[in-house]
Amino acid sequence: MPPALSRGGIGARLDIDRLQQTIVVVAVLLPLLLFVVVPLWSLLRLSFETPGGYGLDNYARHFASAKFGRIVGNSFAVATTATLITVVLAYAFAYSLQRAAIRWRAGFAAVALLPLYAPSLVQALGILFLFGRNGIVNRTFGSGIDLYGFWGIVIADVLYSFPHAFLILTAALAHADARLYESARMLGAGSARVFRTVTLPGTRYGVISAAFVVFTIVITDFGNPVVIGGDYGVLATEIYNQVSGQGNMALGAVVGVVLLVPAALAVLVERWITRHSHAALGERSQPLSIEPEAWRDRIAFLFCSVVALAIAAVVAVVAIASVITLWPYNMHFSLRHYRFDVQNGLAPLWTSIVVSLMAAAIGVVVTLAAAAMARTLRPVSAQLLHFLSILPAAVPGMVLGLGYILTFNDPRNPLEVLYGTLLILAICNVYHYHAQGFLIAGTALRQVSTVFDEASTCLGAGFLRTLRSVLLPIIAPAIVSIGVFFFVRSMVTLSAVIFLVTPATQLAAVSVLLLDDAGNQNQAAAYSICIMAIVALALAALHATLALLRRWRQPHDHVPVPARVRADDSPGMAGVSP
Amino acid sequence: MYLSLRHICKRFGTVPALIDVSLDVDEGEFVCFLGPSGCGKTTLLRIIAGLEKPDSAHLLLGGRDLARIPARSRNFGIVFQSYSLFPNLSVARNIAYGLACRGWTAAAQRGRVDEMLAVVNLADHAGYYPHQLSGGQQQRVALARALAPRPQVLLLDEPLSALDAKVREDLRAEIKSLQSALGVTTIMVTHDQHEAMEIADRIVVMNRGVIEQVGAPRQLYDEPANRFVADFIGRMNFWSNGADGSVLGVRPEHLHLAADADAGDRAWRGRIERIVFLGSITRVLVAGDDRRCTVELGGSRPDLQVGQSVYVHADAAAVHHLAGPGA
Repeated sequence: MPPALSRGGIGARLDIDRLQQTIVVVAVLLPLLLFVVVPLWSLLRLSFETPGGYGLDNYARHFASAKFGRIVGNSFAVATTATLITVVLAYAFAYSLQRAAIRWRAGFAAVALLPLYAPSLVQALGILFLFGRNGIVNRTFGSGIDLYGFWGIVIADVLYSFPHAFLILTAALAHADARLYESARMLGAGSARVFRTVTLPGTRYGVISAAFVVFTIVITDFGNPVVIGGDYGVLATEIYNQVSGQGNMALGAVVGVVLLVPAALAVLVERWITRHSHAALGERSQPLSIEPEAWRDRIAFLFCSVVALAIAAVVAVVAIASVITLWPYNMHFSLRHYRFDVQNGLAPLWTSIVVSLMAAAIGVVVTLAAAAMARTLRPVSAQLLHFLSILPAAVPGMVLGLGYILTFNDPRNPLEVLYGTLLILAICNVYHYHAQGFLIAGTALRQVSTVFDEASTCLGAGFLRTLRSVLLPIIAPAIVSIGVFFFVRSMVTLSAVIFLVTPATQLAAVSVLLLDDAGNQNQAAAYSICIMAIVALALAALHATLALLRRWRQPHDHVPVPARVRADDSPGMAGVSP
Repeated sequence: MYLSLRHICKRFGTVPALIDVSLDVDEGEFVCFLGPSGCGKTTLLRIIAGLEKPDSAHLLLGGRDLARIPARSRNFGIVFQSYSLFPNLSVARNIAYGLACRGWTAAAQRGRVDEMLAVVNLADHAGYYPHQLSGGQQQRVALARALAPRPQVLLLDEPLSALDAKVREDLRAEIKSLQSALGVTTIMVTHDQHEAMEIADRIVVMNRGVIEQVGAPRQLYDEPANRFVADFIGRMNFWSNGADGSVLGVRPEHLHLAADADAGDRAWRGRIERIVFLGSITRVLVAGDDRRCTVELGGSRPDLQVGQSVYVHADAAAVHHLAGPGA
């Protein structure tokens, strides 16, 4: 049987394949360059720009000022303290859930993740309702607790960064080789010695990783310090003051570059750890079985209850304050804060929903395309793509946001048309969280054996058909998870978009900040609750869709119950963590 | 010559996987690539499929150059070792996949799918999903999927090695009869000599990126070109030929035991070290002063004892003079 295609036809077809792939590569790489590299470049360039050409003048001037030194010192003091407290608390919490036989483990875990689904300044808001100058505690007991400043930021950021450390440490503690523990016991080691010689060394990478992640989150956090920091300036609020307050872009850029350093360092350490921690468990590892142990379990339960209560209380008090006439003076029930009759009313909430939906759609396409490309490219290009995709993880939101105004509020840039639109807000959110979306997409794609690609190719399918008929249906659960991830992050984020909103494109999280700033704490609380309700809806929709997708996997024909049920291959809720 | 491979070279980094490999395959022939793991047999198959790019090669199919024809346009059917069925598609839609890629009409697709389902005896499984099938059933669907678009060449990459022994034997026979019935040119990669000998018209024995010998199973067994082939296909006793330094080889079933030296002038004396009864044959290990060998005798041999002194002799015609790798 002679081949059906003529020589010219085959050549042309090969070229189309190549063209198709080139187009996709450009379509993936170009936006990464435009929306990540160019803004960063603008920021760097501006920080070195002086009236007499490029130089270190801005840095020299800034570093020499006593105020700047104090702010850097403040930032490091807050970040170091909060990191220490968070990692210890999160380790004990994760340890209690993983290694002790206690009740309500799922409930505790759910509460621990709560801060992920709230606007980033809710912690500070809740703490002020409790312990602020006009908080319930000072009012009731006539005490003079003053939390504004260092301790306020530390406590708020401990709560804010807790879920991140909890997730990392849970992963580190979840898997253990029972044989190691049995050997230690047989050799006569007591509980304390087993912990010191087996448990702790086994989870050291998790601890280092959690410490760096928390440090970065705290030092780049903007929402909590701006609400509870008072006069205690930190780097993130300083950028905001320089840029929004004084219009001093160049000094803002200098602070941004300073803020890039710890964040970039954290990403480097993270990558180093992933490369060194993979062989911890062998194939013959025996899973650890947890036996009840009365005292340990009682202490663990008590500890988890206290921590969960603290996390829940801060959110709960915000919910309560939102239905109180005037906290703490008039504690009668009232729904008047849900009338939203100040500022733009509910408009920012709708705007946020639209922007978040856009970010979800764009984010799914962009991160999946990048992850799929990284698989098929030659090593050098794949590495470049991987680097650019992960790069945003090293860029604090404030820095990215500042880079965006410098780039897209520049009349010389043809893309300036984007400035002031909802699209630029969505794009900013997509690239702010691009690294996490890209990693979820990559994990999902790794479930798809390359044999599927090859089988499909040999059967005559092109790249697009393989994507449409085989790859996309298999990773449908991941698509939904990535979409919800971008939606949720976009609903609650504040730091990157704070620079990009205009009066016409006000976002809900920014509204919370402005309401709080104007002294309308109760309305700020009500607004926060609305945001959290929408986030909860999105998460419920995610669960429902994943359940539905699982059901669709089962054939509609009348066939016997499958002998082997496929393992659930959706990244699930882990996907909706930053 | 239907499929012609000329001077194929492939390196992975600095490691040579294929060194100047050339081979011709006739139309309708069933060829097995046989060799130990890492010998390059799978790489060669993947280069033929177009899934791997050779460093240099000249591939001809029916006289036409394959170099610029990508995998998707070659119309070669392929079955992989691991289950490669698309998990999101039913059995019927898996089989129809290649037909849809080639623009068959829906009606034509349905007809061909039913035909292929009948051929692999899975007519009542059309609506099943891959995870509901056993390993053997999945590979039969994979076979049906590969054959549905009437491929010019069928490529099988160790399709049976993930299956249980019994299923493997059944499917092996099924593949062979299917291949004969359809007359499709087939290349199968395997590391199992029995599989290759049972199924192949010709076996290509490979080792360290080169072809050691090509021939019908009988020919490889009776006339191995070198020590590697002799050792890889069946068993063989080796000892060095003092006269010219070459190696002499004799199959265990070509050796005989006798109680005295009368048996022949080439006989040598040894002591029985071990006797293994295997049902249809008895395997006897004999150790002499300067050599040891395995002798296979028919049926049960209650007359032999461990420690017994025997004479071993071979027919001169059955002794191979070998050279080559490992000699």
